[in-house]
Amino acid sequence: MSTRKPSYANPKPCNHLSAYKLKYGSSGYKSLQKSLKSAPNGRTSVRIHETKIPRCSFCNGFEGRLYICLICSSVSCSNHAVLHTQLEIGHDLAVDVQRAELFCCACSDQVYDPDFDKSVMAKHMLDLPCSTNSADSIGERLCERKRLGGSGVVLSEFKKPEKSGFVRDHRAKSCYPLGLRGLNNLGNTCFMNSVLQALLHAPPLRNYFLSDRHSRRTCRKRTANRLCLPCELHGVYSAVYSGDWTPYSPAQLLYSWWQHSENLASYEQQDAHEFFISVLDGIHEKETKARNHTKDSGDCQCIAHRVFSGLLRSDVTCMTCGFTSTTYDPCLDISLNLDTSRCSWSDASNKPAKANGSSCSSTLLGCLDLFTKPEKLGSDQKLYCQNCQELRDSSKQMSIRKLPMVLCLHIKRFEHSLVRKMMRKIDSYLHFPFSLDMTPYLSSSIVRNRFGNRIFAFEGDESEMSTEFEIFAVVTHSGTLDSGHYVTYLRIQDQWYKCDNAWINEVDEGIVRASQCYMMFYVHKTLYYKANIDLRHLPVSTQKEAFQRMAGCC
Amino acid sequence: MSVPNEGNDMSSSSDAQLSSHVFGDLLDSIIVDVASECHRIAKLGLDRNFEEEEEELRLSAQARVRVADPSNSGEANSKYVVDIFGQNHPSVASEVFECMNCGRSIVAGRFAPHLEKCMGKGRKARLKVTRSSTAAQTRNSRGNSASTYSTYSNSNSTSRLSNGASGVAGEEYSNGALEEP
Repeated sequence: MSTRKPSYANPKPCNHLSAYKLKYGSSGYKSLQKSLKSAPNGRTSVRIHETKIPRCSFCNGFEGRLYICLICSSVSCSNHAVLHTQLEIGHDLAVDVQRAELFCCACSDQVYDPDFDKSVMAKHMLDLPCSTNSADSIGERLCERKRLGGSGVVLSEFKKPEKSGFVRDHRAKSCYPLGLRGLNNLGNTCFMNSVLQALLHAPPLRNYFLSDRHSRRTCRKRTANRLCLPCELHGVYSAVYSGDWTPYSPAQLLYSWWQHSENLASYEQQDAHEFFISVLDGIHEKETKARNHTKDSGDCQCIAHRVFSGLLRSDVTCMTCGFTSTTYDPCLDISLNLDTSRCSWSDASNKPAKANGSSCSSTLLGCLDLFTKPEKLGSDQKLYCQNCQELRDSSKQMSIRKLPMVLCLHIKRFEHSLVRKMMRKIDSYLHFPFSLDMTPYLSSSIVRNRFGNRIFAFEGDESEMSTEFEIFAVVTHSGTLDSGHYVTYLRIQDQWYKCDNAWINEVDEGIVRASQCYMMFYVHKTLYYKANIDLRHLPVSTQKEAFQRMAGCC
Repeated sequence: MSVPNEGNDMSSSSDAQLSSHVFGDLLDSIIVDVASECHRIAKLGLDRNFEEEEEELRLSAQARVRVADPSNSGEANSKYVVDIFGQNHPSVASEVFECMNCGRSIVAGRFAPHLEKCMGKGRKARLKVTRSSTAAQTRNSRGNSASTYSTYSNSNSTSRLSNGASGVAGEEYSNGALEEP
């Protein structure tokens, strides 16, 4: 609960609540438990009598809100609740019958008590069909790993590589941060260049390669296989951070990558996201082979997974009985559908108005909301409920169980055009923030919200990972699905740079805001600020450019 | 709750009243429900910072207006004279290096198409073989080879074909229209 405001766990009680707690503690809550009734949709209500509806003891009314006194169980309506406190001194606390919320009749306001929420949740857990979740055991497993020393890359110190020292770059152009270097377009390779620029500035990845954690020297010892994507990447990092500012040609990387991803090896425009996943896969493959491990990606310790891997949680709930089945899947990034809810619809066709008019205002937060929204699966998609033992209408909800160090958000800017029976690109503008707080999308928040935002401990709460991210790279696309252009904007020390193949230019943040984002790279806030300080002290690699002007591939 | 049926008008109006009453009740219940939910979210500090979000949207809208304004310098359209290091770059990268597959000297901007052929990958490399043999067959079976070739070279979509047919390694980049990033 480290990132939550203190008011969450300890809301300030009113005097009456404090007085009640002093006198009665949680005993009143516990005796109320037997009257609590949980619904499959996560809501709780008070069911006093099995067959009769509750009525106000003063006016016999049953309409509007009804409150049951915690001390004497007498029921009052909202009009007469205050009367009850006047007649019976000290009977200030009641419970809203419909929503099981604490109500202070004297203050005429809803009040909150963690102990009350706890007892509500306890009853709820009892009532709900018990799921033999792998969830809980996985939750425990993840927590255990943390106790054993954590899995993060140690960033505060990177091992001093044997050869290079901490040399300041004394060249005239050193007013610009290190690591800015254009990448030559080798022929329709802007998709590769754009992703490379983002990777080159992902702090944990950058630190890993610049401190020679993987280099040709150490790599050759482990394997005779000449093809090694991490080695090539290391070559690119060394070249780009060498202090040289003439554009670099990542030819060696292209060659190796084509050998690795045969199906993508062709001279044509390709998708940057596909390249991104492919490169991470190449790193993963290489590193797991090297260590003779066959871990599944959830536990993998390769640098690609340590930096980019997160965990997604998927809950499928039976709408009849509330039984929820939970699964976890690791992910290297999150692909989001565009949230078109805020678009105005043009009259003639059934499509949202084009983005050039300002009628379409999707936001990244809106896309994330859409991603974590409960989705009612259609009646043609009934799932088998273990509890009901039949096919039932279900709803599915995604959330993020574990955030990665570097969060890559990919926008699915394509859709099937029903008219032309092919895919087409969506050019709608998408607003994205420079600072992103992922708290509302965590599993703990989503699941808590499902149960009415009760105050209770959730297995993900003790995570020490912060949820605040800062953007450091945006890959933008302009053009159509078949033919377009990728440009990356980098944010270094709060200055934005446009990386358009060989061209590096400073730009105003407004240009970035107005651009058509395709992939956004966010990093933990602390890592971002730390990286900005580190930049001035990075070792200038003494290695020559990876691609030597001579035959062979080293 | 039953109402005596005293005639159409009366019963329909009390039915209408009744249903309107029930509807009102339901609506009230929903409103209070939402209010209660929002109250909890607000009191427990779970709400989003809407001011911040609106400020962000405002900044974006402003930025988009500025960028769309044609009178602005072509910053967004990358009409740069020099980069931050004072360099200028040609539209096709001119650095020359040796191909690690075959050893030939290749211009950087043409490296990918060269490598594709060099490694024997990609559609064009494979197609080239097919087309040449097909073209040879066509040439042999028909007399008017000239018209066949001229048909090919005129249409845009088959610019690749014409490249393949000519079969010369060095000059295949006439589809420069697409190649430009």
